[in-house]
Amino acid sequence: MNRHRRWARTVGIVLIVIWSIVPIYWAAKASVQTESDARARPAQYVPLHPTLKNFTNLLTGNGDLATSIRRSMINIIVECAAATIVTVVLATLAAYAFARMRFRGRTVLFYAVLATMAFPAYTTLIPLYRIMSDFGLVNTYTGIVLVYVSGFLPLGTWVLHNYFASLPASIEEAGVIDGASRVQVLWYVLLPLARPGIISTALITFLFAWAQFLFPLVLSSDLSTQPLTVTIAALQGRHVVPTTLLSAAGILAIAIPAVIALAFNRYIVNGLLAGSTK
Amino acid sequence: MQRRRRLDPLPYLLVAPVAIFIVGLALVPAVFTIVQSFYTVDELDPPTRLSGFHNFIQLWHNSSVLTSAANTGFYVLVGVALSTVLGIGMAVTLQRSFRGRSVVIAILILPWALPGVVEGILWTGIFDPNVGLLNNLVATLHLGSGNAVLLGHNRLLTITLIELVQVWQITPLSALLILAALQLIPGELYEAAEIDGAGPWRSFASVTLPLARAGIAVAVVQAVIATLNVFDQPYVLNGAALTGSSVTEQTYFISFQNLNFGQGYALSLLITVVTLVISLGVVRFIYKKVEL
Repeated sequence: MNRHRRWARTVGIVLIVIWSIVPIYWAAKASVQTESDARARPAQYVPLHPTLKNFTNLLTGNGDLATSIRRSMINIIVECAAATIVTVVLATLAAYAFARMRFRGRTVLFYAVLATMAFPAYTTLIPLYRIMSDFGLVNTYTGIVLVYVSGFLPLGTWVLHNYFASLPASIEEAGVIDGASRVQVLWYVLLPLARPGIISTALITFLFAWAQFLFPLVLSSDLSTQPLTVTIAALQGRHVVPTTLLSAAGILAIAIPAVIALAFNRYIVNGLLAGSTK
Repeated sequence: MQRRRRLDPLPYLLVAPVAIFIVGLALVPAVFTIVQSFYTVDELDPPTRLSGFHNFIQLWHNSSVLTSAANTGFYVLVGVALSTVLGIGMAVTLQRSFRGRSVVIAILILPWALPGVVEGILWTGIFDPNVGLLNNLVATLHLGSGNAVLLGHNRLLTITLIELVQVWQITPLSALLILAALQLIPGELYEAAEIDGAGPWRSFASVTLPLARAGIAVAVVQAVIATLNVFDQPYVLNGAALTGSSVTEQTYFISFQNLNFGQGYALSLLITVVTLVISLGVVRFIYKKVEL
């Protein structure tokens, strides 16, 4: 590789890093400043008097704002964890059957599951609201988790199907000869082999659930179940909330997904590619 | 006589939960959207009754919907063009392996992993007239007073900046999809191109682009779906203001503020149909064009 190209690549890498980091850095910087420092001109590009006061205000304060941030933080964690667990368990069972068993109606069912991926998610926003409202599930954890699971199952089933399908057929044959039941083969042999796929599916489902906004805006707009995304969006329009406090809330809302993305990027990249190509 | 094999219940048991979810919470609601588009379903004007194309005609006469449709068209053009060009650039940068590439990829996917609403708030910090990074840079570099109102100043600028925030979110996936396609290109093709005297631009145009078309097609389709359905970024950055409102925002306002669900159904159906048609068109176009 010649010098020219190496130089061009270095520039490219620097631009990628700047592009991805700067908006996060600027909010993180504001979150550890006082409001007057954040508004100072000329601007402080690095926080000169860093303080954690905004975070302690949100995490230990008694005001309405702090209480609602804490409550919706618990809500979003509960909803994302529940949606992830249910999605991964159900998708694993179905993917195993679709990939490794022959049965009547298999192809039709599988295509029906995949076909729903082609539709934009918001196609079903209004009917889902009306169904949930008929069953009294608006503003309940059950309602929002059911909607998340129905939305993420097709991708999960597809990704896991591809993992199971890539394992050699001789695995089950060996297991059956040893006298193990099919469920035992799934549990003891196939699941451990499909572990990377299961981890990818779980991480991607969790991140998707964490990012939801319009569905919970409609289905859980009450503080009892409102996720952090909805709470924070409501703060944005109210000019009474100081920028630095809003930035701190934003940093709290991205901390968990950011750590997941940075720490497990290999699983996420593999899962995304397994789900989008082929 | 052959013994009939007993139906094996196990696969059906395994598939049943997913099937129930998909039928109950995806297919049935989708049918609802299609059917109810032709009904008047209005909380303020009961009962629900068949009304033919009334909802669609009402949408056509609703100037907010028309403005939002134009805005959305602009979101799609800007978003698809920017995310694809940036995605190709990022993928080409990362095409050959180097030490630390996985770290760069981890940083690259970061914006994809974060909620769009919160990204809207992060970028308010960039665009803000007082505390925003852009205005501060302008002031620091003595290029101006550094108090420019960026969002809401005019429609074109507002839409472009809002879409930039969405591009920030969707470009990582485009880059990954294109990068995956680039990894499959054999290195010998580049060597052959070099021997034939092709410079970097030439080998990019005649080797990289044509062979990455499958990845580019998937990237464009995901960008089309995301931009046609954009909601979070305009909602957070611009509220209900018509300067940047999208059709999905109108669906939300019509259904959940005016409680006119029939029209909401009709608008969602239109968005879905347009999304499907454009996605299919993109795939066919990109494949045809290269095969000819």
